[in-house]
Amino acid sequence: MAKRPRKKMAEKVVEANLLPVMNIMFLLIPALLMAMEFASMAAINVSPPKFSSAPSEPQEEKKEQEKPLDLKIFVMEEGFRVEASGQQEGADAGKSADSSRPTIPLAKSGAPVEDFERYDYKALEAKAKEYKALFPNDVTVKISAEANVPMQVLIWTMDAAAGTDCKIGKFLKGTEDIPDNCYFWQPIVEGGVG
Amino acid sequence: MTPEQQAQHDAQMQAFLAKKKYKAALRRQTEEEEANLGMTSLMDIVSILVIYLLKSYASDPVVINPTAGQKIPFSSADASIQDGMPVFVTVRGITFQDKKVVTMTADGEVDPAMVQNHLIGPLFDSFSEEADKAKQLAENRGTEWEGRLILVGDQLLKFSTLVDVLYTAGRAEFKEYTFCVIKKS
Repeated sequence: MAKRPRKKMAEKVVEANLLPVMNIMFLLIPALLMAMEFASMAAINVSPPKFSSAPSEPQEEKKEQEKPLDLKIFVMEEGFRVEASGQQEGADAGKSADSSRPTIPLAKSGAPVEDFERYDYKALEAKAKEYKALFPNDVTVKISAEANVPMQVLIWTMDAAAGTDCKIGKFLKGTEDIPDNCYFWQPIVEGGVG
Repeated sequence: MTPEQQAQHDAQMQAFLAKKKYKAALRRQTEEEEANLGMTSLMDIVSILVIYLLKSYASDPVVINPTAGQKIPFSSADASIQDGMPVFVTVRGITFQDKKVVTMTADGEVDPAMVQNHLIGPLFDSFSEEADKAKQLAENRGTEWEGRLILVGDQLLKFSTLVDVLYTAGRAEFKEYTFCVIKKS
């Protein structure tokens, strides 16, 4: 008996049904858009404000070499006033503070209050670096300002005191040590001083 | 037209109609082909979009949605925001728990009638109410209330207002403060 020739079966290309996948994808898009971070946010942890009117802590007499730095930055409309160990830098001889003159004058004198870049942040950062070299274990800085000083200036003052290249995110998570370029990264906001 | 010519014309017409009918029948017999939409290119676009959105997914525990017209300050800080109660303080007003608690004056300051020795009355009431709720919740869970306040400020917010808000929060037993800033790229 003659063998019947076998029919050649043509292989059929089966296309995957992508519609269910597309449905899920299109539902994912609005859900992700809702939870999307348009600008990446960060946090600056500050200590609560201390008021000069409140009773101050009893000051203990300490030896000169044991004195802490006690760095204070006061943001004035004319510039920064920097104080360390209760002595303002640039104050007249014999005076601990000179309210009329800032330690670091404005970078752009005559600029309006809304111009946040009128302050000399670089000079402030250099000053913070100087103090850090003298007191390497000190990390706190007390920051206060005149009533009309905008928040952006206050934030940039904190950045300058901490060091603009200071990244402490990983340190706060406990994965890394504190970087060397971080100076005074723990700000305490003070009110009613100056 | 002669009768012969008329007959010839009719015959031609009939033949033409019959041919047309036959062609129409043939057309009806053939199956209509289904139109296939090219999905591959669409899938490529959507996949890329989904990956991009997944990359920019906010992983912080608190999603900060600034109020209209609010300009959050920029900073070089990189610490991530920890869980806490956000309060939105702008030059127009103070919003806490989706409620506008205080409306500012034209100068961008809190109405002096609302402030007594740095304490903003209506804000203190809201803070205290929410703090009590949070404390109760933490007690039920058997955990300690952290008392963290996330201050979402405005670039133009005056220092005096900022201090008043922080002082009011302190009086309502908030212990930790965080300034929310936008990371400078």
